[in-house]
Amino acid sequence: MPIIIAQNIHRTFGKEPLLTHVLRGVDITVEPGEFVAIMGKSGAGKSTFMYQLSVLDTPSSGHLIVDGTDVMSLSERERTTFRLNTLGYVFQDYALVPDLSARENVMMPLLMRGDYWQTATEKADAAIDSVGLEGKYQNLPAELSGGEQQRVAIARAIASAPKIIFADEPTANLDSISSKQVIDLLSDLNHTTGQTIVMVTHEREYALGANRILYMEDGVIVQEENLRPVHS
Amino acid sequence: MRSLRIGLLLGLRQIQRASIWTTSLIIFVMMLTFLNLIAVSGILVGLIEGAEKAVRESALGDIVITELDGEDHILETESFIREIEAYPEIDTYSVRFSGSATLEANYKERRNLQNERDIAAVRVSGIDPHQEDTMTGLSDLVIEGEYLNPDEEGFILIGIYYIEEYAQQFGDVFESVAGVKPGDTVRLTLGDVSKEFVVKGLVQSKVDEVNLSTFIPEREFRRLFNRLDRNADQIVIRTVNPEDNAKIAASMEASGLTQFAKILTFEENLPKFLIDIKNTFNVLGTFIGSIGIVVASITIFIIIFINALSRRRHIGILKGIGIERQVIEIAYVAQAAFYALTGSFLGALLTYGFLVPYFDQNPIQFPFSDGILSADPEGTFYKFVILFVITLIAGFVPAWMIAKQNTLNAILGRK
Ligand SMILES: Nc1ncnc2c1ncn2[C@@H]1O[C@H](COP(=O)(O)OP(=O)(O)OP(=O)(O)O)[C@@H](O)[C@H]1O
Ligand SMILES: [Mg+2]
Repeated sequence: MPIIIAQNIHRTFGKEPLLTHVLRGVDITVEPGEFVAIMGKSGAGKSTFMYQLSVLDTPSSGHLIVDGTDVMSLSERERTTFRLNTLGYVFQDYALVPDLSARENVMMPLLMRGDYWQTATEKADAAIDSVGLEGKYQNLPAELSGGEQQRVAIARAIASAPKIIFADEPTANLDSISSKQVIDLLSDLNHTTGQTIVMVTHEREYALGANRILYMEDGVIVQEENLRPVHS
Repeated sequence: MRSLRIGLLLGLRQIQRASIWTTSLIIFVMMLTFLNLIAVSGILVGLIEGAEKAVRESALGDIVITELDGEDHILETESFIREIEAYPEIDTYSVRFSGSATLEANYKERRNLQNERDIAAVRVSGIDPHQEDTMTGLSDLVIEGEYLNPDEEGFILIGIYYIEEYAQQFGDVFESVAGVKPGDTVRLTLGDVSKEFVVKGLVQSKVDEVNLSTFIPEREFRRLFNRLDRNADQIVIRTVNPEDNAKIAASMEASGLTQFAKILTFEENLPKFLIDIKNTFNVLGTFIGSIGIVVASITIFIIIFINALSRRRHIGILKGIGIERQVIEIAYVAQAAFYALTGSFLGALLTYGFLVPYFDQNPIQFPFSDGILSADPEGTFYKFVILFVITLIAGFVPAWMIAKQNTLNAILGRK
């Protein structure tokens, strides 16, 4: 059974006559363990689509089932809990809490899930190690480079082993070396843990590691490129 | 529970990372608010308590014995005193006789009998000079001349409100005689009995009862007022422990002394208006202080609001990754609590460690009172709780306003 089923997703903003129709009926199914890349020109609606799939926004119409849950029928509170337990996020600009150390940032969702302090610390350190930042546990975000911050953000997204990770242009603010590290991290994760990944990117080079590339234009998916099957 | 833990962590870290100057400033504001709340009413109430203290020390003592309703004097005064003597809890006492008479001065210089006589209606207290001095320290209140000598006869002490030169400074609302100095001769007249006295000294006190009285030895009083039964009008008692006065008064009542006289503790004897003024001042002080609370809560509101607004994106992201809204609210309420607690703690430290002892040592000089700072711990705690709760609300409201905003809009910095 697919982990994401989206049917005829529409998203409009504002009211007539200033209504903007950003998503115009998007369909997509994502299999568990699949790595999907989304590409398209600026303004095509990639981010907007991603926000729908990742339960940060609600479609104006359509059907959306994520991990077997009809997320469109959830209350605000239930959506928050759903995001905590099922989804992981990597935002374009790292989005770490500036007052917290790297470790504490990663610990946030773990503690929220009810892990004990000790367990959360251990899991956080392991996640930070796995993104190659051994020993930087105590650093504040301001004491890390952009690439390192993004890797902490990935550690935060993966520490609680969510079923799906969403990444919206995770390399947009990074130099090519850091970008490569981040992309490699994501595809390693996909290979080793079988976590589902949906990633928006502008670089075809980074999209090539995925199973499938979707091309968006003007609020619809115009083309699909299957690179390799999902190995199960 | 989870939310509480994460909220406290977030709040704590925010305080730790905040600029030390901002934090100090906020705590300083909270401390001033606390002091304002405690000190304004504390000084107003202390003013009255200072007056009460003065009355207790130099006039009425801890227990006051007066005549029963319908009687003119304390009955069986001498046996009554013997009973009192038997109480080890009683430190000292003074037996007083009192009456009204006319005081006349300058009559020897009055050549023309048509001129107005220099007279004043006065209260006369008959005292045992030694006993009264031990009880109230009356001799310390002599500002001109000397205190009564127990072995001498024919001398009088006059309270300054009866002396025109002094009375004028206090509004001259009382009848007074002019230009009387120690060594002058004056005359007390009661009906058709008159007796001459040499002025031994003038007494001044914070307590009007003393200023508005003349003092002569009890022996002479009894003769002048023809009080052969030796029954006194008032006995004032100082107990070894002033706080025990109610207990001792009760035991005196239990032993049947109430058939001779009315036994009242100092507190029971306080005029109601004094209690009313005290309560009014307390309310007034609290009202003035609560303006301070309003200012402080607005300060906290603005500080937390700006802080939360500048972190709106991070708040959105936290919610985005699944952190509940409450966590953010707790984080900010915790910060507000920290400011209120630290500020109040410093304020309390300053109040009880410095201000209260300081004003006890150096009372503010008011004409009717040595003003002290009155801050009873219970009232202080009560005010602290009010300040604390209001601060928490002032911290919660802006956090709530920002945390409830749409998650995605917050993340994207929209609207
Ligand atoms: N809240 C909104 N109100 C009105 N229009 C919006 C809103 N959000 C997005 N849009 C519009 O929808 C379109 C798609 O935006 P979106 O951010 O999804 O594009 P994108 O494909 O992610 O572009 P980019 O590659 O630049 O990130 C844009 O024209 C944008 O102006
Ligand atoms: Mg985008």
